[in-house]
Amino acid sequence: MKNNHSSLRAQSKTASLIKLIVAAVILIVLIVMPFVGGAYIRNILILIFLYMAVSQMWNLLAGYTGLVSLGMQAFIGLAGYVLALTTQQYGKPIWLAFILAAVIAVVFALIISLPIFKMKGVYFTIGTWIIAEALYVFFANWAFVKYSIGYNITVAYRMNLNTFYYLCLVIGIVSIAVVLFILRSKTGLALMAMRDNEDAAEVRGVRLYRTKLMCFLIASVVTAIAGVALYLNLAYIRPTNAFSIEWTVSMVFIVIIGGIGTIEGPIIGAIIYVLLSQILYNFAGYSNLILGIIAVILIMVAPKGIMGYLEERFAWDIFGIRRRIKPKS
Amino acid sequence: MELLIQSIVTGILLGGLYAIVGLGLSLVFGIMGLTNIAHGNLMIMCSFIVMVFGTVFNGNIILMLVLAIACMVVFGFLFQNFLVNKVIDKGPNPALLVTFGVSIVIQNALQLIFGADARSIKSAFATVNVVSSDYVSISGAYLANFVVAVVVIVLLSLFIKRTRMGRAIRASANNVRAAELMGVNTKLMYSVTMCIAMATACIAGLLVGNTFVFYPYSGPQYLIIAFGVVVIGGMGSIPGTLLGGIILGLAQLLGSYFFGTGYQIFSGYIVMLILLTVCPAGLLSNAKRK
Repeated sequence: MKNNHSSLRAQSKTASLIKLIVAAVILIVLIVMPFVGGAYIRNILILIFLYMAVSQMWNLLAGYTGLVSLGMQAFIGLAGYVLALTTQQYGKPIWLAFILAAVIAVVFALIISLPIFKMKGVYFTIGTWIIAEALYVFFANWAFVKYSIGYNITVAYRMNLNTFYYLCLVIGIVSIAVVLFILRSKTGLALMAMRDNEDAAEVRGVRLYRTKLMCFLIASVVTAIAGVALYLNLAYIRPTNAFSIEWTVSMVFIVIIGGIGTIEGPIIGAIIYVLLSQILYNFAGYSNLILGIIAVILIMVAPKGIMGYLEERFAWDIFGIRRRIKPKS
Repeated sequence: MELLIQSIVTGILLGGLYAIVGLGLSLVFGIMGLTNIAHGNLMIMCSFIVMVFGTVFNGNIILMLVLAIACMVVFGFLFQNFLVNKVIDKGPNPALLVTFGVSIVIQNALQLIFGADARSIKSAFATVNVVSSDYVSISGAYLANFVVAVVVIVLLSLFIKRTRMGRAIRASANNVRAAELMGVNTKLMYSVTMCIAMATACIAGLLVGNTFVFYPYSGPQYLIIAFGVVVIGGMGSIPGTLLGGIILGLAQLLGSYFFGTGYQIFSGYIVMLILLTVCPAGLLSNAKRK
C-alpha cells in the first residue's frame, strides 16, 4: 500500500511539474508576443484575453453557482460609460475609470441583488436581462450621458498599445486566478455541494445566500474591469452597443463551446470564438448565423462542450480543482 | 383627464396584444417546463412570413394567416422533434441553450434575407378609427388585437381543459411517467404543444406587424414583453397571460402619461421587476395551486 501511495504521489508531482513548465512557456510566449508578432496578432490576443475574462465570470455564475444570468452586459455597459464619463466628460486618467467602474459595479450588484436574489432559476435569468434592458432604455433617455448619441472615447487613441496588451493579459490571468482561488477554497466546496443538492448543502451549514452573493459580486467586478478594457479597445460607446445582449451571447457561446463548469472551457472557447469571428468577419451577417449553428450542433452532440468531452474521454484535467485526499503515511 | 382615459383604454387594448405575444411562451413553459428563448424571434419570423404571403396574395388576410400558420406548425414540429425533444431529458440547461442558439440563427437569417429595414403588414382595418369621441378614440388595429387575443385565449383554454388531446397534454405536463404508462406519447404531445404555440405566435406576428413596424432584430424586445406578461400572470397559466398583458400595457401607457413618452418601456420594465420581486411565482401561477 505504502509503495502504491508514494508512486501515485510521485506521478502527480511530475504531472504538476510538466503543467508548471508548460504554463511558464505559454506565459513567456505571451509576454514577448507584442515584440515578435505584429499589431494584428496583438489585437487578437487582447480580444481573446478580454472575452476569456468575462466568459470566465459567466461560467463562474452559470457553471458553478447555478445563476444563469443573461444580464452581464449591464456591467460591461456601466463600465464603458464610467470610462467615457471619467475620461471624456471630466478629463481624468484611465486608471481612475478602472477603480470607479469596479466600485460602481459592486454597488450596482448589491442594489440589484435585493430583488433578483428573490427569483429562482429561469426567473433569475429573465430578471437580470430585464434589468439590463431597463438600463438601456434609461441611458438612451438620460440627458447627462447625451442620450443615444454616446461618446467617442478619444483617450483610447493616445494610449500605449503594448501597455494595454499587458493590462489585458493581467486581467485574463487574474480572472483565471480568481476562479481557481474560489474553487480551491472552502467556498468552492460549498459551491459544489450547492450545485449537487441545494437543500442538503443548506442543512450541512452552507450559507446559500451569502455564497451566491459573493460569487455574483466577484463576477460583476471582474466583468466591469474587463468591460472598461473592452471599451478602451472599441473606442466608442452608445446605449445600443453598451447594453446589448450580444455581450452575453458571446459569453454563452464561448462557455458552451469550451465546456460549461470547467476552467479550461472559457479559455478554449474564447480562442475559438475570437478566431472564428475574425475568419467570418469578411462574410458580414453570416458570422453569428454560423456561430449559432455551431452552438446548436455542439449542444446536441457534446452538451458539456469541448473540454467536458475531453475530460470524459481522456480524463484531461489541466487546472485540478478536485482535492486530493492526503494518504496517511 | 381625456388623455388619462385614453391612456387607460389604450393600455388595456395593448395588453391584449401583449397577452397573445406571451401566450405561446406560457404554454410551452407550462407543458414542458421549457423557457423558449427563441419565442420572440420565432414570432418576428411569423410576421415576415405573413408579410411575404401578403405580397404574394395581395392582402387577403385570412389566407395569409392560414398559410403562415401551416408553415409555422410544420416548422414548430421539426424544431421540437429534432432539436428540443432530443435534449429535454438532460436537465434544464441544454434545452434552454438550444432555443438560445436557434434564436440567434433565426435573427441573423432574417437579417440576411430581408435586410435591416422597417417592415409592416398592411390591412384594411388597421388605420380605421372604430370609436372617436371627445374622450377616447380607438383604432381598428388595437380593438382587433384585443378581441382576437381574448378569443384565442378562451379557445385555447377550452381546448386544453375539455378535449381528449388537451387532457393528454396536461397529463404529460403533470407526470411524464404516469402519462406514458397510460399510453400517452409525451414527446408527441410536446410537439403538438409547440405546434399550437407556433400557431399563436403566427397570430401574434400578424397583429404585431399590423399595429407596429418590425425589424429582423425586434425579436428580443418582444421576447422580453412575452417574459413580462408570463411572469406577471404566472408561468404556464393561460388566463394569466391576459391579466399579465393588461397590467403590462397599463404600466407602459400610464408610465408614459406620468413621466413622458421616453419612459414608456422603462416603466413597464420597472413594474415587471417589482412584481417579480413581490410575487415571484406570478399572480395566477400553476405552481401555487399544485
